[in-house]
Amino acid sequence: MKDIRKLTALTKAGITESLQFRLGTVVTLFGNLIYLALVYFLWKSIYASAGSDTVNGMTFYDTMIYLILATAIFNFLEMFILWDMSRAIQSGEIIMHLLKPMRYRWYTFWSYSGSHVVSFFLTFIPTFLVVMIVTKGAVPVGWNLLAFICSLILALIVNFNLEMLVAPICLYTESTWGVNIVKETIVLLLSGASIPLAFFPEGIRRIVQYMPFRAIYDIPLTVLLKKNGSDTAGGLSSMILFQLAWAAVLIIAGNLFWNHAVRRITVNGG
Amino acid sequence: METASCRKRGFLFYAGIYRKILVQDLKSKMSYRADFILSNLGMIMTNLSGFVTFMILFHNFPSINGWDYYHMLFLYGFSLIALTPVQCFFDNNWNLRFMVRSGDFIKYCFRPINVFFYFISEVFDIKGIGQFIFGMGTFVYAWRHIGIPVTFVTIAKAVLFLITASLFMIAIMNASAATCFWIINSGYVMVIMFRFKDFAKYPASIFNGIFRFIFTFIIPIAFVAYYPSLVFITPDSVPLLSWLSPLIGAFFFYLSYKFWMLGVRRYDFTGS
Repeated sequence: MKDIRKLTALTKAGITESLQFRLGTVVTLFGNLIYLALVYFLWKSIYASAGSDTVNGMTFYDTMIYLILATAIFNFLEMFILWDMSRAIQSGEIIMHLLKPMRYRWYTFWSYSGSHVVSFFLTFIPTFLVVMIVTKGAVPVGWNLLAFICSLILALIVNFNLEMLVAPICLYTESTWGVNIVKETIVLLLSGASIPLAFFPEGIRRIVQYMPFRAIYDIPLTVLLKKNGSDTAGGLSSMILFQLAWAAVLIIAGNLFWNHAVRRITVNGG
Repeated sequence: METASCRKRGFLFYAGIYRKILVQDLKSKMSYRADFILSNLGMIMTNLSGFVTFMILFHNFPSINGWDYYHMLFLYGFSLIALTPVQCFFDNNWNLRFMVRSGDFIKYCFRPINVFFYFISEVFDIKGIGQFIFGMGTFVYAWRHIGIPVTFVTIAKAVLFLITASLFMIAIMNASAATCFWIINSGYVMVIMFRFKDFAKYPASIFNGIFRFIFTFIIPIAFVAYYPSLVFITPDSVPLLSWLSPLIGAFFFYLSYKFWMLGVRRYDFTGS
């Protein structure tokens, strides 16, 4: 019980902190709306040249919903763990985190949770509503919304642990920007955030299917759109299990790597 | 006499200073070799990812708004080269908000040279070079496949229009960085503007009405590749805006510079 209160305190602190910069949220939301218009025009003209309404099982509206909500999820999931960690290491502040009576990984996760809550309500939900209006209610509404939320939370966990796995690389290379951009590019491309996975050529898609990146964008969005058999109990549970399995693998790998890397900090003297 | 010679500072004076600062900056960068390699790798990865997105797109669709694969690649290569100067020479804009907030910015105001010049010259971002090489490769490849003649005139035109195209993105980033003089921690403005640049590689003809206007005259990403490229792609019917783009680019750059300096003056007054 005391533990939970400790964690929700971190969440609350995060909420207060991100509400402080409300102008940023408004501008980001506005930027998203313009971005939405760009995506709309681009895909409208792409579909106009296709000659058919459905390409690889995706209609124009499906693609729109998929890509715009991918942007919204991107804002929702956005974390600066790599930057935080490398800054903390450079300034020596990391030692304060390590001395806290809570695991660094656990502490980071919960102090970010507040900003996730805020961005979910202030940018994700409004973007979602705009998508509903623009596509004239093409988003199926029902139990899939609940499944989508569950899948989104798992996506958050997978994304967080991926960041935690990659972040210690900065300790070895002194290249925060480089490591971050390599990670981000791979995630955005192979997760379907840049272009829906449904459009990938068959051979590549078969490989990408087994990678963890799909768990971050493609699976929640597929669940929301009720594609690929995610509207059946079997299909849905296999996707959720896929997310769970990768979350577990990443947590273990991240822990092992962190335990190894943390020793390097002590060598440097912090 | 001496003050008079101090005030008359020409191009050569600033070029000399720039060279000196650049050498110092490169020396310090070279001491982090792993960072140099990883940053360039990262830059090439982002470009490669854009390329793969194109391949996947054209795997499913024959053309975009009448633009086929090679013409789209031409636009893409053009935009990558045009985006190199902002990456290489104007990257310090990303640090402006931290400097202004912490008060460290004041050091730039105490030097007897142009504040904008001094601030911008402090950082040369080497990772832009990877992007430049990738962009050149794409550009030359598309150029050859479209069959644009290689003459002195076309190459001179290419250089001129690439430079003018780059002015637009520089102007956008200058102006969005300068917002931090008025709004605390305005990094998100830069992030959003930087994201819009991803659409520079698509033909502006896909937008209609109001959005066409916004992306031509307010956030001028249509000038980063689309309008200047038309000079090469449709040489028989080049719109007036394409020919005027060098002038418009210089104007946008001047405006952004004035806006930036206005912020500096405001910063002086608050004395924070």
